[in-house]
Amino acid sequence: MTNQMRRKIVQSIGAAASLGVLGARPSFAQAPSEIVIGGAQPLTGIFSFAGVAMHAGLGDYVAWRNANGGVSGRKLRYVAEDTGFKVDQGVAVVKKIMATDKPSFFYIDGTPLVKATAQDLRGSGTVMTTSTSCAQVLADVNTMPQHFLAGPTYGAMHEILMEYIARTAKASTTKPTVALVYSDSEFGRDGIPASKARAEKLGIPIVAEIVTKQAGVDVAPEVARLRRAKPDVVIFQGYVVSPIPEFVKQMREAGMSSQVMGTIWSMDKATYDALAAMGESWMGVMPYRYPHDPESKTMATMREYVSKNRPDTKHISIFYTHGWLAGMIFSEIADRCIKANKPLTLPNMKAALESMKDWDSGGLTGLNADLSRHQITSGRLYRYNTATKQMDPASGWIRV
Amino acid sequence: MRIGVFHETYASEERLWDSRTQRIWMAVFALALFALPLYGSDYVLAIACIIGIHIVATLGLNITTGSTGQISLSHAAFMGVGCYTVAWLARWGVPFYIALLAAGALTAVIGVLVGLPSLRVKGLYFAIATLAAQFILTFLFREWVPVTGGVGGITIARPTLFGFEISGDRRMFYLIYFCVFLFAIASANLARTYIGRAFVAVRDRDISAEILGVNLLRFKLLAFATGSFYAGVAGGLIGYFYGAITPDYFSFTLSVFYLAAIIVGGMGRVLGSILGAIFMTFVPELLRAIAHTSSEWLPGIANLLLPMGQVVFGLLIIGFLIFEPHGLSQLWSARVRRLFHLWPFKT
Repeated sequence: MTNQMRRKIVQSIGAAASLGVLGARPSFAQAPSEIVIGGAQPLTGIFSFAGVAMHAGLGDYVAWRNANGGVSGRKLRYVAEDTGFKVDQGVAVVKKIMATDKPSFFYIDGTPLVKATAQDLRGSGTVMTTSTSCAQVLADVNTMPQHFLAGPTYGAMHEILMEYIARTAKASTTKPTVALVYSDSEFGRDGIPASKARAEKLGIPIVAEIVTKQAGVDVAPEVARLRRAKPDVVIFQGYVVSPIPEFVKQMREAGMSSQVMGTIWSMDKATYDALAAMGESWMGVMPYRYPHDPESKTMATMREYVSKNRPDTKHISIFYTHGWLAGMIFSEIADRCIKANKPLTLPNMKAALESMKDWDSGGLTGLNADLSRHQITSGRLYRYNTATKQMDPASGWIRV
Repeated sequence: MRIGVFHETYASEERLWDSRTQRIWMAVFALALFALPLYGSDYVLAIACIIGIHIVATLGLNITTGSTGQISLSHAAFMGVGCYTVAWLARWGVPFYIALLAAGALTAVIGVLVGLPSLRVKGLYFAIATLAAQFILTFLFREWVPVTGGVGGITIARPTLFGFEISGDRRMFYLIYFCVFLFAIASANLARTYIGRAFVAVRDRDISAEILGVNLLRFKLLAFATGSFYAGVAGGLIGYFYGAITPDYFSFTLSVFYLAAIIVGGMGRVLGSILGAIFMTFVPELLRAIAHTSSEWLPGIANLLLPMGQVVFGLLIIGFLIFEPHGLSQLWSARVRRLFHLWPFKT
C-alpha cells in the first residue's frame, strides 16, 4: 500500500467518523405539544426478524394516530435505535434516547435489557415501558411498577392452553396427557411452573418434560423420550420456528399422533406454514386476532394502513400487531393522563394504566383488555385450516 | 523538537512515564477524564462506563492470554462469578469495596481450578478446556436458581459509601474509572516485576523458562488467578452498573469479544487492553451513529447500513490484523507518537 493510498483511506475513515459524531442530531427534548415514545429495537442480530416488524408496527401506529389528530391534540413522536439484542448496546441506546428526547414511553427489546435499564428508568419517574418479553418477572407490579406487558405472560398463555385442554376433554373419562418441550432459555422456561401448576389443578397429567437448546438441535433422543411417554398433546415453548418442524416430522415418523401446540411467537406465519408444508395443522394460543379476522375494527384499520403505506407487505405478522398494540396502550395512558389534567409522571401513568380494567382495543385482544395487573391475561386457541391456509379460531376467548 | 528520551539511570528507564512531556500529557488526559461527568452527556457517560468495565476485564485477559500465552475462553463466565458474588454480598449489606475484592478473590480461586489443566495441556487443547469451564459456569448460572436467580436473573443493590449512594452513571463513572486506573497501573507494574517477566518467559517458550528456574505450575496458575481476579472485579462492576443482570450476559460471545479486544488492541500490553476495549465497544456505536445520521438525509438507508455495520466492523478487525498484527497499541506507539515526535519530518 502506498503512502498516498494509506492517507486517502485514513482521510475517508476520518470523514466518515466526523459524519457520525459531528453530524449527529442535536439534543431534541420532548416539546410540551408532543409525546415521545422511545424504542430500543433489535433491528440487527438474531432477533432482527421480530425487531424490524415491531419497529414498523409501533412506527406505523404513531403515524396513523398523528394523521388522525394525535392524542388529545398532541402529536406522538417515535424515536428508535438498534440494540442488536445486546445489553451493552441496548443500554447505550436507552440512555441516549432518554438524554436527548426525554420520552414518556419506551419500547425495550427483551428481558435482559428491561432488567438492566429498570433501575434507571424507574428512578427517572417519568417513563413507562413495555417490551417483547412476556416473562413473569416483568409483570410484577411491585418490583417493576414502570413496566407492563402488551399481552399475557408465558405462564398465563400456558394456563389458557391447559384450560382449553381440560374443557375439550370434559366429556371424556380420562384427561389427555401433556408433554412440555421447551428451550433452555428464559423464553423457554418462564411459563413452565405456571403451566405445571395449572395442569395439576385441572388434573391434567404432565407425562414428559424435555429441555433443549433454542435452535440447531438434534431432536432424535428427545423424540424417543416423547414416544415412550405417549402424550396426547405436546406443547412447545421458547421457540419461534426451529426445531418445531423437525420435532413434528420425527414424531410422525415414529407413529405418534399427538396434537402439537405453541404460544404467541411460534404462532406466526413462518411456523404454521413450515408445518403446513408437512401436512400438519399447527395449533396454539394467541392473545391477538390474526390479520384476516373480520371482527376487529382495529385490525381493519391496520390492514388498510398497511395496504396503503406498505404495498409490498404480503402478511401482517404478530410482531407488527404487537408493536401496533403497544402504541395503542401508550396512547391510551397518555390520553387518560391529559384528560385528567395530570402530567406524564410515572405515578400518574401507572394509575392510568391500572385504570384500564375494561379497555376496548378495537377487538384486537378479543375481550376488552384488563391492564390493572400490568398484563392482558386473555387469549384464544387457533388452529391451522388446510383449506383456507389460515389460522382459524378453535375456541372462544379465555381469560385466566 | 523532541526526538527521544536520553536515560541516564536504570530507574529513569523503568519509569512508567519516562519523559516530562509524557507526564504532562497524561496529567491533561487524566484531568479531562476526571471532568467528563461534568460536561459529558448521559449517553457519553454510559458508553464511558461500559468501556471502563470492559477495560478492566480486558486487562485481566491480557495477563492470562497476552502475557502468559494461555488462551482463555471462559473470561465472560469468570465475570459472571464476580457479578453473582457481588449480588449476594450486597444483599447482606457488605460494602462495595469489600464485595468487589471478595468477587475478585472468589473468581481467582475458580480461575486457579480452571487453570489446573494447563499443567498437562496447552495451546488449543487448553483453550477447549477453558471453553468447557465457560459452559459449566453458565449452566450453573442458569440452573442454580436459589443463588443466581436462574434465567430470570438477579438484582444488585446500589453501592453506598458512608451512606452516600453511588447511583447514576455520573457517580458510577468515578467508581469504575478508579478501578480502571488501579488495575491499569497494577498491570503496568506487574510487567516490570520478576512475575511479569516470568509470565512472558512462559509464553515465549515454557521449557526454556523452566530451565531458567521459572516454576511453571506456580506461574501458569498465578497468571490465571490474576486474570480471573480482574474478571471478577469487572463482573462486580457490571452488576453494580446495571443493577440487575441475567445469565445471558455472560455468554461465550462475550469471551470471544475480550479475546478479539486483546488481539485488536495488542497482546501483552496495557495500552493494547485499553485501546482494544475502546475499539470493540466504540466502533460499533460509531457505525450505528453513522447509519442513524445518514438515515435522516436518506430515509430508509439505515435498513441497509445497520446490518452492514457488522460487516464493516468485521472487515476493520481483519484489516487491523493484516496491516498491524501487533494491534492498535503498536499503531499508536510506532506511528502516531512517532509522527508527533518527528513532525515535520518523516521516518
